[in-house]
Amino acid sequence: MSRKLPNVSVLALSLMLGAVPSIASEIKIGAEIPLSGNLARVGGAMNEGIQVAAEMFNKKNGKHTVKIMTVDDESSPAKAVGAVEKLAADGAVAFTGGYGSNIIGPASEAAEKLGKVYVTSGGVASELTKRGLKTFFRINSSDGYARALMGMFSEMGIKSVAVVYSTKEATEEVAKMLQAGLGPRGVKVTMHAFDPATNDFKPIIHKIKLQDRPEAIAMIGYENDYVGILRAAKVLKPDIKTIAGVWSLATSKMAAEFPDLMENVSGTSTLSYPAEFTTPEAREFAETYQKMFNKAPDYLGIFGYVQSKLLFEAVARATDAGTVDKGGVAAEMRKTQSDTVIGKVRFDEAGDNPEFTHRMGQHQNGKVVLVWPADSATGKVRYPAVPW
Amino acid sequence: MLELILQSLFSGVLSGAYYALIALGLALVFGTMRVINLAHGELVLLGAYISYTAEEKLGLDPLASLPLALAVVVATAMAVYYLVSLIKKDRELNSLILTFGIGVILTNAVLMIWSADIHSATTAWYHDAVIPFDILFAMQAELVFAGIGIVLVGAVWWWLEKSWYGRALRAVASNRDAAKLMGVNPQLTEVLSFAVSGLLATVAGIAIYTAKVIQPAMGHHLTVKAFIITVLAGMGSVPGVLLGAVLLGVVESLTVTMASSALQELAGMVLFLVVLLLMPSGLFGRAKRRG
Amino acid sequence: MNRILIAALLAFAYVVVPLALGSNAYVVGLIVAALTIGGIAIAWALLGNLGGMVSFGHAAFFGIGAYVSALLTLRAGWPVFPSMLVAGFGAAIASIATMPALRLRGPYFALAILAYAEIFRILATELKPITGGAAGLLSIPRLPNVLGLDFGSKLGGYFVILTIVVAAMVAYDLIRRSPYGLALKAMHDSEDATRVVGVNSTMLKAWMLAVSAFITGMVGAFNAHYINFLEPDYAFAGQWTTLAIVSAIFGGYRTVSGPLLGALVVYLVDQLAFKPILPQGHQIVLGVLLGAMILFSPGGLMPLLLSRLSRKEASHAA
Repeated sequence: MSRKLPNVSVLALSLMLGAVPSIASEIKIGAEIPLSGNLARVGGAMNEGIQVAAEMFNKKNGKHTVKIMTVDDESSPAKAVGAVEKLAADGAVAFTGGYGSNIIGPASEAAEKLGKVYVTSGGVASELTKRGLKTFFRINSSDGYARALMGMFSEMGIKSVAVVYSTKEATEEVAKMLQAGLGPRGVKVTMHAFDPATNDFKPIIHKIKLQDRPEAIAMIGYENDYVGILRAAKVLKPDIKTIAGVWSLATSKMAAEFPDLMENVSGTSTLSYPAEFTTPEAREFAETYQKMFNKAPDYLGIFGYVQSKLLFEAVARATDAGTVDKGGVAAEMRKTQSDTVIGKVRFDEAGDNPEFTHRMGQHQNGKVVLVWPADSATGKVRYPAVPW
Repeated sequence: MLELILQSLFSGVLSGAYYALIALGLALVFGTMRVINLAHGELVLLGAYISYTAEEKLGLDPLASLPLALAVVVATAMAVYYLVSLIKKDRELNSLILTFGIGVILTNAVLMIWSADIHSATTAWYHDAVIPFDILFAMQAELVFAGIGIVLVGAVWWWLEKSWYGRALRAVASNRDAAKLMGVNPQLTEVLSFAVSGLLATVAGIAIYTAKVIQPAMGHHLTVKAFIITVLAGMGSVPGVLLGAVLLGVVESLTVTMASSALQELAGMVLFLVVLLLMPSGLFGRAKRRG
Repeated sequence: MNRILIAALLAFAYVVVPLALGSNAYVVGLIVAALTIGGIAIAWALLGNLGGMVSFGHAAFFGIGAYVSALLTLRAGWPVFPSMLVAGFGAAIASIATMPALRLRGPYFALAILAYAEIFRILATELKPITGGAAGLLSIPRLPNVLGLDFGSKLGGYFVILTIVVAAMVAYDLIRRSPYGLALKAMHDSEDATRVVGVNSTMLKAWMLAVSAFITGMVGAFNAHYINFLEPDYAFAGQWTTLAIVSAIFGGYRTVSGPLLGALVVYLVDQLAFKPILPQGHQIVLGVLLGAMILFSPGGLMPLLLSRLSRKEASHAA
């Protein structure tokens, strides 16, 4: 019964392993990302950022080049672990990628067991950096999203917020942070959880309109949820002063696809759109992205780029020092002090980036204008202002 | 509170009419062939994506994309029928597994062709508000497609009850051999029911693309919703599909209003199980033995 | 199958495979995942073959088993192996809630169980104080060290799931050969006739459902301690059911070894052969395999192989 299997796997394995002779100056980096399954969209966007990072690194860095080996984790934890192990067997010295805290968790533990660095931006759960891993790094956290949203609200002087959030892990975590963070500041918070399969948001918005009567609505969900919520709100026109959300909202894609829906909506953002690039690096990044994928970078691509770039630089430094096999990559990652496209990045002992704060962008006339914090703002916030 | 409940009922009825559009094709094939087409949701999704492509590339209004979407979806439905017709024994269960496999193929094909991005119609008119009696709120698209849903349910009902083809279809469903003796070609009638089911899936797909947001992974969810409604309706009851769908829509939206949206799917599933276990012939079906 | 062949296969699985592949974590990981699917597939086929019921919701039992064991170890401090056993019983008890569905026929039963799986998933999301809600449970204890054997390692996990799967197959085979198995078989042919000779068919079906749920729950518990993470969407994911169905159908759900063979072939071929060719959407191949199998060999791969084999033998004899 099980006799057939090892033959098949041994054969396939020898085919795979036999085919990769290594080239001296080329460093192999493993990318473990969801390219199919329910995280395919976000995984695909992060993957683009990783590819751009490799392209840019290889162009300017004469001494070392990186080769990205990509394995689809199919949005499944077990397959993510398998992907990390396969990539390691194929010679990857470190890993970039990962989306969803429940997938990053086991995958990064597998990387830890192999003693190899795993860097990500796709999992914001605070538990991830409480596990005491030595080789785990991430450049963002749910704190940063919640902080940015609360920062903008408090600058606006908002006294009551209705939080509409999806019952998914990351969305629920950010929603709870808002609740915990806004309450003590004297802001009245009402919570409205919704099932991820919800597509008619009118009953929820109606409750908010008639019962909560808040000054602001905060949406914590994903693109399809935002479109549904905003359409319902546009029909019901609750008497609020602003409506804002987190990831995937203040993006060029949303501005291009749903211009009439997005006007005056704010969301966490790293770049304005069209991007007003202030640094040469950011400009080169956007140009390369445009050339490779024929579109403007979105925030997932930007995060994928930054995490990979920092990893490549650390690996290159470790290679020079000859410490790649002795935990040198993790040590070099901890030395990172970099001003990146998403702001300052450094890593603490747990691998978190304590500098991470998101900015807030607002859709204005088909553009995304950075409106918070003041020192990185590219325009004035419209307040009170809603899409209807 | 009264205002909330009224709006909730209104939203629920509109959702119901839209659910009916999704469920009718599944119920039709189930009623006539005893085949649960688990790829039905994927057919709906396919229609939605064709409509998207037509709007994106050709600038067509979603409704104007109907002929194109119809051609693709009905052709696919025919292919599904052909494969199902190859099953020789134990058709009820084997077709379940076969159409499930076809659903997996279609979902992944959609993912490969259109990527995992979300899409929705951009024509603003569809999303403008309609406010009957000054206290009820809806999007134009919801009213349009609720109307289309009710008309199609009526048309299918008329077709099955009054037309010769419809009666032939029901004859085949209740007794294939006897129908053959009466000069009805069972194969032809089955092809017909699949074709009509494809048509209904196309319209449902356009409705979803216009009023909601589409993504490749949603096909399975649509199939499950459609099956729930088919069970609520009871075997072979076309008006039951509309009533069952409205009931589901209302139960879901009342759950949101009275409790929380996090519980709305739970409410739908519990309603489904209660009807399934306690009312073997559904809410509106003719008495049929199921257990 | 004769005893010598079985002994040889067991020796192969317990000795040769670990020795040959033990150092390759990736391949061992794939085999463990395939065996996990195989365990559910065996449980699914037991219900399908002996009970005559097709279930679309075995994820319900998988998820319950996973949560019971994870919660017992995390919150009550139980050791892992006893928790896994109790998790099996937990899933079997949960199956009692699904038993009203037993009087439903064919597709109705299949989709009723799916509804149960969905309900359990939502309950796991909503019962936050117990289950941790959507955020799930992290740092679930690994499989333990027993007598110097580290079951928490990759290879240790392999031995544990292999043993669960072998035990499930033995149980399946024993039930099949027992008088109950014969009664169940007779029931397929004519339910009314068995009722006349005094066999309580509903009771027998209920037992099969409970046994099937027990096995699935154990497998779910294993997976929770092996992956160390749990969240509702993952524990009750439809893929636990669908992969198991594909495997069982592919391998042949009317045989004891077919589902396992199916799981190993489907999972390993998918991951090792198709994934490198079709990085995105290679599951399309699963759909094609499933459809082709139903159309051309509804009995699955195992009967196909056996008939080939016996035809060969027949021609040799001639």
